[in-house]
Formats: sequence, structure tokens, C-alpha cells
Amino acid sequence: MSGNLHQAGVRFLRQLGRHAEPIMDAYLSGSVPDQALEPAVEERLVKDGILYRPEPGADLHLRRAVRALLEEALRDDRNRQIDANTGSALATVKTLAAHYKEARHQGDYAAADAYLVDLKEHVYSFSEGLGHSVRVLWSRINNEFGYVGSLAAKIRENELAQSQVSELLAGLELIDFSELAETAGELRELRRLLVTGLQRNVSSCCQELGVVQGRLLELLGRFRKIQGRTRLLRGWLLHVEQQPDYRPGSHAALPQMPQLLNLAEPLISPAAVNIHDSSQEAELLALAAQIRAQREERASAPLAEAGELVLDAVESFEVQPSPIQLAVQEYLCEVIVSGKPVSGLTWWHARALPWDPETWLYQVIGGYEALPDEQRACFQLDPDGEAHPVFSGNFIVRDISLWLA
Amino acid sequence: MLSNKGKVIERLLQGAFICRTSDEEAWRFLKNPANREQVDDYLATLNRSVATVGGGAEAEVFYCAYRQLGESERRVVGQQFRDVCNGLTPLVEWLLLVQEAGAQDAPLTEGSPIRLNELLSIVEDTPAFREQLARISRYRLFGSTSSSVDAQIKQVFKKLCELGYLLRPNPEKQIYLGTGKLDYLYEVIRFIDEAEGLALEERAELASQGSLL
Repeated sequence: MSGNLHQAGVRFLRQLGRHAEPIMDAYLSGSVPDQALEPAVEERLVKDGILYRPEPGADLHLRRAVRALLEEALRDDRNRQIDANTGSALATVKTLAAHYKEARHQGDYAAADAYLVDLKEHVYSFSEGLGHSVRVLWSRINNEFGYVGSLAAKIRENELAQSQVSELLAGLELIDFSELAETAGELRELRRLLVTGLQRNVSSCCQELGVVQGRLLELLGRFRKIQGRTRLLRGWLLHVEQQPDYRPGSHAALPQMPQLLNLAEPLISPAAVNIHDSSQEAELLALAAQIRAQREERASAPLAEAGELVLDAVESFEVQPSPIQLAVQEYLCEVIVSGKPVSGLTWWHARALPWDPETWLYQVIGGYEALPDEQRACFQLDPDGEAHPVFSGNFIVRDISLWLA
Repeated sequence: MLSNKGKVIERLLQGAFICRTSDEEAWRFLKNPANREQVDDYLATLNRSVATVGGGAEAEVFYCAYRQLGESERRVVGQQFRDVCNGLTPLVEWLLLVQEAGAQDAPLTEGSPIRLNELLSIVEDTPAFREQLARISRYRLFGSTSSSVDAQIKQVFKKLCELGYLLRPNPEKQIYLGTGKLDYLYEVIRFIDEAEGLALEERAELASQGSLL
């Protein structure tokens, strides 16, 4: 018998493994359409009780047991189901304990052992279920009901969790340990299972549920506070809209002014720099350096907003020649007209030019050098002067003469 | 260099609201009752004391209040209350705009971040928000005269930073954080609500039910 069961179980699990893809699709999207599965596969999955059709014509859904298995294994937030049915679990436990006692009494030890194993399984799964419920509640608290979007939904989820906690606590109150002790009687195995083990689990679970309840209330308070603030803001706007000339009363003038409005006047303004304190010199210099840097930045800032660049015909303009340049031109013309060498200083004297003689000579040399190459070739410029008496290689120009080459 | 205590006293005397977001070190310092007592003793000489928003152990925002109220103190406090009241409607409208544009359940509070660029693009894309922003920015509190959404929103945020409701931790980035002064603002509204029996929350509740029907 147990061999058969083993084989059948292995076959069922293989079935699950082989069709893992469609099963996960069904888990995530809630259902699988008929077209997605081959008819043979579909038939096998339905026959094995993995998928079922809730009503004719509907898509295939996962069976509750398979879904619960996945939720538990994946620690899925959507798993909000909490089994608070302590009464029926307790009744089963008591019945099995009675079977066990009877079998022991009649000396049927094989049957008694089988009942004990069954009983252990029930008690353990009951404790495990309690632990699971508490874990689920904690995971919801820890992400602050993050799986729902709006604040109102969070408040509803919180209320659901609170009602579940109260149900669990009410269920746990049903467990009467003196009655269980009586049921267990003198049998050591039963006492250990029903009294010691169960009591330990239940009391730790109760404690934890108390903490959970506290946290849930705290969270609810926070949610309500946030919601209250939003309402406060909206209410204020509505109020101001309805009574546009509304002004709050002068509460600050009342003898019992609330602490909230008691705002002291700002007192301290920044202190000034003490430039005579040499210990601060380094910092002050650094500050001064920063000021300069800022000024440079400011100068560069307007560059970014340079005016629009327009490509246009270049406006014609005339360079006004300076009088000294005109005088040099006149001098050159005189050289050309006379065809003889003309000394620069003589010309300067003859014309009584207003500039310094040295400036005049420099301008003449400059004017000569500035001529285009072919015109310059027509002239010859001779410096008139002597070598420096002390420093060789220096030549002092006293005058220059220009003639046609 | 100033000690931690000195810094805290200086901040308080400057009229700052100390919260976790604006100055975590000072906030931690004041969270310790012994430190707070020391600061309080020091401020007593200046007829001031450390006040908190919310009472007891859950106090999260600290500021400086008068210890004894004489004539001149009352005048200052009265003026400040009038200032706060004048700014209430623009601030409330702005808070609701940010909340609605961000599709959030919770209004802005201490430590909540606002990304200006995201807010800007949402407001620009939604005509109703654009109108709302234009109205808000023209209040005297914000005083914007610009007609562009970008300039309006920047002016509003700049003003809010100056007033101490917002903080810009990194000047390179357009991310702002709410400060504890916002919590103070909520408390002021709540106080006015209770003191004058305006029943603001019930009114909002009724209005939202009315709009659902």
C-alpha cells in the first residue's frame, strides 16, 4: 500500500516538474487559456488535480493546494490567507488522542504507533501553521503593505491583518491545556506532545502576536496621520474658497498662547572678520583668493550670451593717416622731385616740423621700411653717424639721408 | 572651532528649525535629553528655550521659543503668526500640487525628496497643473511675474528654499528635500483648525465623498 502511494506521489511530482512552465504561467496570470496547452497535457493535468475549470467555458485555474504550495515556497506577498480555525484542528487532535489511548489500552501497539505518528503530524502541522501565520503577518508589516498602491488600500489591508490577528488570538484561547492534560492522562508520549510541546509553541506565538498587534496599530496610526494631513490641506483650501476673506484669529495675543506659536526672533547675525588676528591669516588669504576667482568667473559669464553673429558685407572704412605720416610722404616726394640726397634733419629744419628730431628720424626710417619692396628698391637710406667710442658694434645715428637709388 | 553644543545654540538663535534632514548632527545632539537641558540652560539667559514640534519622545523638529512673554515678545510672536497665516494658502496649494502631480498618497513631509525636473515635465504636460502653478507663483509669497512654467517653478522653489521649507543638498542637482519646517506648518494648520473649530478634515472627507457620488 505505502509502496503504491510512494510511487503515485513521485509520479505526481514528476508531472508537476514536467509541466512547470504552464503551471507557473497559471500561477502568475491566474489562469491558462485552453489553446496554450496540448489537449493530452491538459487532460492529464486536470485528471491529476493540478488544474481545474471553475465553471464551464472558463479558463483553467490552478488548484488551491498547488497554489498554496507555490505561495509558501516563493514567499509570495499575495498570500494573505491565514488559517485561524483552531477549533477543528483541536477536535482532530483530541479524537486521535482518544484512538491512541484506546489502542494502547487494548494492547494493539502497532495501531497505537500508527495513531501516534498521525497525531504527531497533526500537532506539528498545527504549530507550523501558527508560525507561518505569524511570519506572513510580519512580512506584510515589514514592507508596510507595499504591495498595494494607495494609502486607503493600505489602511484596509492593515484592518484585515488586525482582524486576522484577533481571530488567531481568539482561536488560541480555545486551547484549554488542563483539558489537554486530562486527555493525555499518564501517557508520557502524549503529555510531551500535547502539553509541553504545544504549550511552548502556543505561548511564544501568543507573545509574538501581541507584538504584531502593537506594530499594526502603530502603522495604522501613521497611515491615518498621513491621510489626516492630506485632508487637512484639502479642507483648508475648501474653507478658503468658501470664505475668501477668512483670516485666522489673533491667537498669539491670547493670554494662554500655545507653545506652538512661540517662535523667538532670530538673534545672531554673522560675526565680522578680525583682520588683526594673524592666526587666521591663511584662511583669510584663501577667502580673498576665492573672491578673485569669482570675479573672473563673472567676467566670463557674459561671453555665453554673446550677441547674434550676422554675416554681412564689410562696411568700408578709411584709415586716417596721422600728420607725421603725411609729413614723411611729403619728404619722400621731395626726394623723388629733387633727385638728390636729402638729409632728414635738414628737411626737418627747413619745414620746422613740430616733432622731436629723434621721433622724426624714427618715423622716416619706419616710413621707408613700410614701403612695398619694389618701391623701397628705388630709394636708398643712408644713416649718418659714428661708432660708439667705448662699446664697439654700436652705431649712433645722428642723421639720415635718403636718395634715389 | 565651535563645539557641537555651540553650533546647535548658534543655529537655534538664528531662528533655524533643526530636523534630521536639515542638520542630522545637531538633531542627534538635541535628541539626547541631557544635551537638550544644557542648551536650554544656556538659552535661558537670553529668555529663550528649546521648543519642539510634537510632544515628548517623538519630537523630531526643534526650534527656539521665548521663555517668558512680555509686551515686545508678544508683538514679535504676533507678527510672525500673521506672516505664517498669510503664507498658508499659497503653501497649502503648492503642497497639494506637488502631491497630485506626483500621484502620491502622502503630502510632502520632512525628508521626502522632490525631483524638480520630473515635477516640471508633469506640470508642463498637464494644463490643469499649469494653471495651478501659474496661480500659485503669482501669490505675493512667491512673487513670480514670469509666464513660463520653468521660470515660475524655479522661482517657487527658490523662495521655498529661502523660507527654509526645502533644502537642496547638492547645488549641482535639481533634487530638493522637505525639512522639518513643513511639519511645523501642518501643526499650525491643525492648531488653527482645532482652535477655531473649522472641522477641516470632516469637510474634506465630505467633499471627497460628494465627488465620488
